[in-house]
Amino acid sequence: MRDIAVRYGFLVLFAALVAYFASTADGFVSPQSAVFIFQSVAITGILALGVTATLVVGGFDLSIGSVATSAMMAAAYVMVVLDQNALVAVLVCLAIGVLIGLINGFLIVYMRVPDLLATLGMMFLLLGLQRIPTEGRSIAAGMTMPDGSVAPGKFSAAFLALGRHRFDFFAPNLVPVSVVVLVVLAVAIWFFLEYTRFGRMMYAVGSNERAAELAGAPVKAYKIWAYVISGIFASIGGILLAARLGRGDIASGNNLLLDAVAAALIGFAVLGASKPNAFGTAVGALFVGVLLQGLTMMNAPYYTQDFVKGAVLVVALVFTFALSTRAKR
Amino acid sequence: MKFDRRTFAKLAFGLLGATALGFSPALAQDKPAPFDKPGQVKIALVRYLSTGDFFQAYLAGVESQAKALGVDLRVLDSKQDAALQADMVDQAIALGVNGIIIQHGLTESMKEAAQRAVDAGIKVVAFDVNVENPKIPQIEQSDRDLARLALEQAIKDNGESWKAGYVYVAGIAPLDRRNETWVEFKKKYSGIKEAAQFGTLDNPIANSVANQARSVLSANPDIKVMFAPYDEFAKGVKIAVDEAGLSKDIKIYSADISTSDIAAMREPDSAWAATAATNPAVVGQVSVRALAQLLAGEDPGKSVIVPPTLITQKELVEKDIKNMEELSAKLPQFAHADVAMPKWMPNPNAK
Repeated sequence: MRDIAVRYGFLVLFAALVAYFASTADGFVSPQSAVFIFQSVAITGILALGVTATLVVGGFDLSIGSVATSAMMAAAYVMVVLDQNALVAVLVCLAIGVLIGLINGFLIVYMRVPDLLATLGMMFLLLGLQRIPTEGRSIAAGMTMPDGSVAPGKFSAAFLALGRHRFDFFAPNLVPVSVVVLVVLAVAIWFFLEYTRFGRMMYAVGSNERAAELAGAPVKAYKIWAYVISGIFASIGGILLAARLGRGDIASGNNLLLDAVAAALIGFAVLGASKPNAFGTAVGALFVGVLLQGLTMMNAPYYTQDFVKGAVLVVALVFTFALSTRAKR
Repeated sequence: MKFDRRTFAKLAFGLLGATALGFSPALAQDKPAPFDKPGQVKIALVRYLSTGDFFQAYLAGVESQAKALGVDLRVLDSKQDAALQADMVDQAIALGVNGIIIQHGLTESMKEAAQRAVDAGIKVVAFDVNVENPKIPQIEQSDRDLARLALEQAIKDNGESWKAGYVYVAGIAPLDRRNETWVEFKKKYSGIKEAAQFGTLDNPIANSVANQARSVLSANPDIKVMFAPYDEFAKGVKIAVDEAGLSKDIKIYSADISTSDIAAMREPDSAWAATAATNPAVVGQVSVRALAQLLAGEDPGKSVIVPPTLITQKELVEKDIKNMEELSAKLPQFAHADVAMPKWMPNPNAK
């Protein structure tokens, strides 16, 4: 009985929530509404999937929010100031994600800096770095540069399509690109972590680093890879953010970080996993998305939304740590 | 070459111009003390908020006016650290500055620091922070006027009866002042119905507000007007309106402006109809001018209000305005405010 409660409790809660909003908020049940929930969690969801990879190896990545906003600024800079095309912008962003992941991994693995501290440092570093090229200005087409000239480029249509194009699915123009990217990445990382040797070894590293090392696993490489994955996912999130906003916005990305971490932690509770897992993370992100969509439709002010988000997280953590027998190893 | 009257006139003008240029130090002597020797005047700008386009432009305004006056400007930036900002005032006192501009901050932390500066014989002005001191003039952009201009335009465009979505976060002083005007308008025009109120300052604000606005639009498909009296809010609402395919059915009215706002307003079929804005650079210039008046022994008044300008989509398209510089160039009322402008004051916007 207890096992069933732990295993399915959270999913039941999720279903109950959807049923509640469906009966109280007009227009909550519609394909548009469902797609919209996915869209609103797409960016934080992608970041959450990345941070899940670092959680799996027993690490943590606090820099994802600022990696995302740095990628957003970089995309805007490449297109607006350097007048390059969408492909270059995307490649630059991905390269930034890889590079930051490598640096994070290097600091943690070879410099022996604790993960929270290394990625915290990286977070601050990026917050400053993203402002340096434009001296603190946000980037938009037609902006004036610090030297007084006008930026020559603009956001290319192909890049904006990443945020605005919709695929026909059931109804015409329904599913935005960001949702497709989220689903593809979620399935990919889920399969990777659960069913590939590489992914299983990452779990082994996370549960007992020493044992994994003695068993001959290249622990250091696995850890660095986890941060690279996290960096890439965060930069993909940043690309989608830039495409949606259509400009490079000075932003800390702290809310992206917090929402993503919340989603990943809520994910611990899903199906009684008691450990980081991609499926749980995706459900956690959706859970937060459903809550926010429903509450906004019922005109609840923003602070109640933060309150409810926090309450859900606490409940999820109780599921994970108190009720689950597996947690009491 | 014929030496007629016209060439002579040109020559005379040219000579006059050259004299004016050559003798400009002499002109400076017309300014009241201490600006007859501006190189010896030191002023400090003590900032609480500094990141974002608004504050960048504000700083640019302060710098341009300080340069026009020829005074030595020190910028102390506390980066949203209230305690540090108070310490910085003491630092400025220790530096021996003649005047201080306090830019934003908290009443509780700045009140005593400001008093210490006044006690040290330093002239102080405050922008957007009330330090509760009768000797310190307040520089303000009139938030109530901002909201009023935008709402009057909304009524002009849409008549006196519509369903509105309203974006607001309580507890932020300028937004609270803008909210007062919205409440008044709702009372005055009974046809205006507020169907939904939402808003958040979660970073990046435009993205978070877009998510909320999408929910609001699907819950209230009959909304005709969105009042989003802060440009980040308006950007978010516009994204949501575009995503919902309603850009021809909904009009957005907002406050504040930036280059990216101009781009968003100029998009074909953009729902963003109008915004009311005060030029942050002008506010910066006015801050310095008010301080200079104090230093020269003149009284700029208890509160110095910088008037806002209404900017409509139509104007932006018709005058082909693409960024803030072109906005200043093509809307003169936006580029310069005739506030705190005694005769001797150099105008930094004069070409």
